[in-house]
Amino acid sequence: MRRRGLLTGMIAVAALAAGAAWKFRLFAKHYPPTPYDDLLSQITDREPAIMFGSAARKSLPSAARLAAELRRDGRILSARAEIEPKENRVTEVAGWIVPQSVALYAALAAQI
Amino acid sequence: MSAFQDARSFPKDTVLSPDLAIIGGGPAGISLALALADSGQSILLLESGGVTFDAQAQKLYEGKETGVAYTAMDGGRLRYLGGSTNHWGGWCRPLDPIDFEDRDAVPYSGWPFPRSEIEPYFARAQALVEAGPWVYDKAGEAASDSGPLLGLAPGGVYTSWFQFSKTKDGVLPTHFGDRYQNDLKRAAKIMPLLNANLTGIRLSKDGRQMDHLDVATLAGNRLVVKPRFTVLAAGAIENARLLLASNDVTAAGVGNGNDLVGRFFADHPIPRDVATLVLFDGRMPPFYTNFLTLPNGAVLRAALSPRAEFLRQKNVVGSLTTIENETKLDAFATAAVETTAEALRVDASKAKAFSLGCGMELAPDPDRRITLSDKRDALGMPQAVLNMTISDDDFLHFRQTLSELGRQLLAARSGMIHLSYSQRHEWLSAMDWGNHHLGTTRMSTDPRKGVVDADSRVHGIANLYVAGSSVFPTYGSSNPTMNLVALTLRLADHLRKALA
Repeated sequence: MRRRGLLTGMIAVAALAAGAAWKFRLFAKHYPPTPYDDLLSQITDREPAIMFGSAARKSLPSAARLAAELRRDGRILSARAEIEPKENRVTEVAGWIVPQSVALYAALAAQI
Repeated sequence: MSAFQDARSFPKDTVLSPDLAIIGGGPAGISLALALADSGQSILLLESGGVTFDAQAQKLYEGKETGVAYTAMDGGRLRYLGGSTNHWGGWCRPLDPIDFEDRDAVPYSGWPFPRSEIEPYFARAQALVEAGPWVYDKAGEAASDSGPLLGLAPGGVYTSWFQFSKTKDGVLPTHFGDRYQNDLKRAAKIMPLLNANLTGIRLSKDGRQMDHLDVATLAGNRLVVKPRFTVLAAGAIENARLLLASNDVTAAGVGNGNDLVGRFFADHPIPRDVATLVLFDGRMPPFYTNFLTLPNGAVLRAALSPRAEFLRQKNVVGSLTTIENETKLDAFATAAVETTAEALRVDASKAKAFSLGCGMELAPDPDRRITLSDKRDALGMPQAVLNMTISDDDFLHFRQTLSELGRQLLAARSGMIHLSYSQRHEWLSAMDWGNHHLGTTRMSTDPRKGVVDADSRVHGIANLYVAGSSVFPTYGSSNPTMNLVALTLRLADHLRKALA
């Protein structure tokens, strides 16, 4: 009986720890705060975006101007990315055809 | 049954007087002869080679290429019975209706008639190339048991279908020489004459009639053929060469009063690995990368083709994009896929990438042309010189179609695309050719714009015709063989009346 209780307790603690790790992204890479975190927080995994954005940033404006443009639109990245191809708003980054907002967000990530 | 005759065994200065002489025993020549076998008219089918490959005959194809690197003149065609079907891949697809249209944005485009003019001949052409029941763009439904079509949002590119000549169970495509040899022998009124090379098309003094043909063999025999009608069916390079070289009555060559013979040569560029297509779920329907054999025997493969509305809207010419092999993504490409998939909220953990191939259409270009060299072959005929061109617009047009394909994949949230080449030198370094020779005796009702009229008759000459893809004024992106056979069957109907 004590053994079963101990086991149940350990599982509960492990589940709580895993939940906390997920909730507070304890094992995710953390980046210093930036003036653009409201935008960059929409990218769950920033590493590939930084790598991809390094190609996009060459032909795009500065971070401040990019951010201003993205905030002006008002919609979140996923909403924009889904609708843009339907509206013919795609762009080419190093040969990849992507929604315009993907290029902009990735370029922003690469500039920080 | 009339056995094949060998011109080398004919006495010197033999004169033959058939009703119809057909120059060239390739798909056009053989189809034409067989179509008229029951016409009651005597038909002489002149073939330069024998029934099998002969190096000496093949050498008569040697020539020179200038401009953009291109297949050697004796490399992309075969000079023996069956012609270039002896090495064709068996890919068949009808030309699209837009290929026949006169489009303002595509200079020199347009046929003298719409596709409906040759549609009645498609079924017989399909039977001659042995590509099974006519399915093509109705194949999507038939193939649905094997999987869904590629997930594309509405737009300019759609899934189109090739059919194949006799590739079922590993049997090679139909080689017209092998396949129709016995039919030719069985036809009482057809005399196939092998090792017989046309060396001159001789006109009447007023230049309005074809009077006789000079024929020679590599063994030194000389024959004269005096047919009522003649059809050149020797392929786009050779048809032009023969017309230009026959310059004793008209100095510019036969049918070349408006300096058009040999111009507008075309082929289908097939640059390799033009793009990479990524499917987020990794599930590529099998009929895009492999043959699909339907229960009715049709052998199919799916490709991606631009819609006519897209071509008109974007002012581009056609293309057919094929999905080839699975390929690996490097770190940057993986980052591009992950970033995009995340933004689209799709799972790309099982994504797979595939290289894309293609067949591009070239816009007509009068400077892409066949002329004659000072160098002569073993029969004393001037060799052909090809000036090959491909414009930056040709690449740009195809790139626009690929971009549209990428947009449609994104809009469907099914995948994305990477374009491999943006610079001219990149395209050229990946270049290969379909060896589909087209356009050198283009068709137009206006003699200032075409060498032959809408009946394939050489303008200004009453009894000389041209068959094959050399009369195509606009080329489309479909492989030409089945289409040129259909056009030849239409010519057969015209000649049947003319000969009667």
